[in-house]
Amino acid sequence: MAVKPFTRQPKLFRTLEPYLYLAPATLFLIVVFFYPIVQVIRLSFMQMEAVGGPIVSLGNYQLVFEDPVFWRGVKNNGELLLTVPIMTVLGLILAILLFERVVGWKIYRTMIFMPSILAVPTVGLAFVYLLGMNGILNTLLRGIGLGAITREWIGNATWVIPAIGLVIIYREVGFGVILFLARLMSLDQEILEAAEIDGANWWQKHTYVTIPQLGAVIEFFVIVEFITMLSWVFGYVYTMTSGGPSFASTVMEFYIWKHAFAFRTPGMAAAVAVILLIITTVFIFLQLRIRHQRLD
Amino acid sequence: MKTTALRLMTLLLVLTFLVSACAKATNVTPGAFPVEAKPTATQGMPTAAPPEEKIELTVWYWGDPDAPGADKWLAETADKYMAMKPNLKITIVTQDGSTLFSALQTAASSNSGPDIASQWATGPVLSFVWSNALVPVSDFVPADELKHWLNLNENTYNGKVWGASLYIVGVYFIYNKDMFQTAGVTPPGPNERWSWDQFMAACEKLKASGVVPFALGDSDGYGGAWFFSTLGMQGLDSTDELRQAVIGKASFKDAKYTGFYKLLDDMVKKGYLNSDVMSIQHAQAFVRVSQGTAAMQWGIDGVIKQTLKDMDPAKVGVMRVPKWGTGKMADYGDATQSTSYLITKWSKHPQEAADFIAFWHSQERLNAWYAATGVVPADDRFDINLVTDPVMKQVITWNITGTQVWLENWIPGQVDGDGDLPAGQLIFSQGGTPDAAADIWERAADSWRKQNPKELENWTNWQQ
Repeated sequence: MAVKPFTRQPKLFRTLEPYLYLAPATLFLIVVFFYPIVQVIRLSFMQMEAVGGPIVSLGNYQLVFEDPVFWRGVKNNGELLLTVPIMTVLGLILAILLFERVVGWKIYRTMIFMPSILAVPTVGLAFVYLLGMNGILNTLLRGIGLGAITREWIGNATWVIPAIGLVIIYREVGFGVILFLARLMSLDQEILEAAEIDGANWWQKHTYVTIPQLGAVIEFFVIVEFITMLSWVFGYVYTMTSGGPSFASTVMEFYIWKHAFAFRTPGMAAAVAVILLIITTVFIFLQLRIRHQRLD
Repeated sequence: MKTTALRLMTLLLVLTFLVSACAKATNVTPGAFPVEAKPTATQGMPTAAPPEEKIELTVWYWGDPDAPGADKWLAETADKYMAMKPNLKITIVTQDGSTLFSALQTAASSNSGPDIASQWATGPVLSFVWSNALVPVSDFVPADELKHWLNLNENTYNGKVWGASLYIVGVYFIYNKDMFQTAGVTPPGPNERWSWDQFMAACEKLKASGVVPFALGDSDGYGGAWFFSTLGMQGLDSTDELRQAVIGKASFKDAKYTGFYKLLDDMVKKGYLNSDVMSIQHAQAFVRVSQGTAAMQWGIDGVIKQTLKDMDPAKVGVMRVPKWGTGKMADYGDATQSTSYLITKWSKHPQEAADFIAFWHSQERLNAWYAATGVVPADDRFDINLVTDPVMKQVITWNITGTQVWLENWIPGQVDGDGDLPAGQLIFSQGGTPDAAADIWERAADSWRKQNPKELENWTNWQQ
């Protein structure tokens, strides 16, 4: 039996080989991700309207920046970012309490995580009834003699964003708790025991030992939630307030939706989508940079 | 060789004749209608299609929210019509109000979709006229038939009627007679109308008697929008005056356009409204009078009919919206066809579509419509004696008497959504002043003009 002699593959083939393996997936990514992005960027430079054709223009960006409703949306997105530190701290406290196995911790774990698996419109609509003038919250307040502080929590320009923020915290905090808890479960128990032997109290143990070891997970959660607050809150706003009362709860995503589907000015919608894309990209790069620094 | 060439030429000639013969028999080029497409329909008697031709009509329909029972009526109407025309198949696709405009827009951009579409009257309809998505209904329905259809002025443009009317709904105040009596309030008579001051005086008495004078829901903005259409109209002399502000030749900050917000602001500040205005949607307040939690509320035909069912009819009263303004439109009615029915440009059977719409206006179908919905059909042949309830009779009389304009139909959709709705919310949530509400209108109109230059051109050239 003749043995096939070993032959070296051509250098060019060896150079290209990995790229050939990557080609199908790359092509898929180009079609699914990059093509729509390019199209949105292209659309943002066109003045599209229900009547008439496209005109290449930078005007959409100018109109967006001149529009006070857009800036109101940016401000509201900014205010919703304040929920991120609240969620992070709350998530950490709850995760540590569950990790400590307080009585009934399995039930609490389920209860805390449950909202995260509910659909956003379901949560949003439920809170519309809870936070209405004659909703459960105000009924409770009246019941305990605090009727004077009742108000239309989502029908009031001052309170609508805090109310939406509260609903977001309710739904999103469970995700953080599960992330933190999973990391806590994988911690080396000996380190915690050593801290206890060294005389660290509960607060010191978690502040100086536990939390520093959760750094990577906290960083991941914070970045994901930052991006969520900027580009993933449409469902809450749409189902709870439709941006009202009178633009008080409008956000950038809602602005995009309104212009794309209600006002039939997709060029404007695309311009804001590009702006939002740039902002979220900055956050993604920020995350990558922090991660690199941590690894270094 | 010569023989072969001769044979080929003969074959070519025969083929040419065949093709041209077929071309004459085939269909209409979109946008250009053949001589055969002239109006021929008589009421309920379709004539255009030869009996052997198989025809399919698709109808996109919205009507049930305005007139509960409308969907069932249309299904029954389609069945009856198909029984008369065995070669015809009608498919009804019920539409959602929130996507009524965008769905048709998508269809128009691809030149395919329904043969008959439904759309909000006037501004939205004209938007499709200007984008060349429709053919005039009046090109396919004979004038002696069309003259019976009401409110056609809402969709008349360049001398053609672009949308057919099916029903008419008007907006009024419903009140509880008992609560009025207890508070010592005398309602206006059928031919009378309160002034705004009389209305406010009545609210004060009702409030003093311990009831909520007026129930309203505005979390969706439509509570305020109804005030714009009814009170806002009263400062104007014509719809063209409104158009001037839309196109930027006048300012919405002028009191004749937005001065009515001061009245609404006063109403809120004096506590004449329910405490949960911004927690409930407009339609959710439609049950407050029948629930006994308010003395007055908005009512539209279907709501009035339902209120008469839900409480003792003897305790239900209706009145026209109080008079405030001094414009020529202050005395107009506010009844509208609400939804219009359109024939699309891409329909292969525009005549059959028109015949089907005309069938809706046959006497038997008009009567069946009223029986199914309790809403008056948009046709002067409807026998008003069929209406036995005195309250509904009064409402219908108002609906069909005098000039009727629903002002919200006469502004672009974007100005409505970006100006009208949030401006009302600003007042009812007490998030700003009436002047700030006027600013919202002005900003919305300005944005619309900048973002839609072609549409602005159409609105500017529109001779109302």
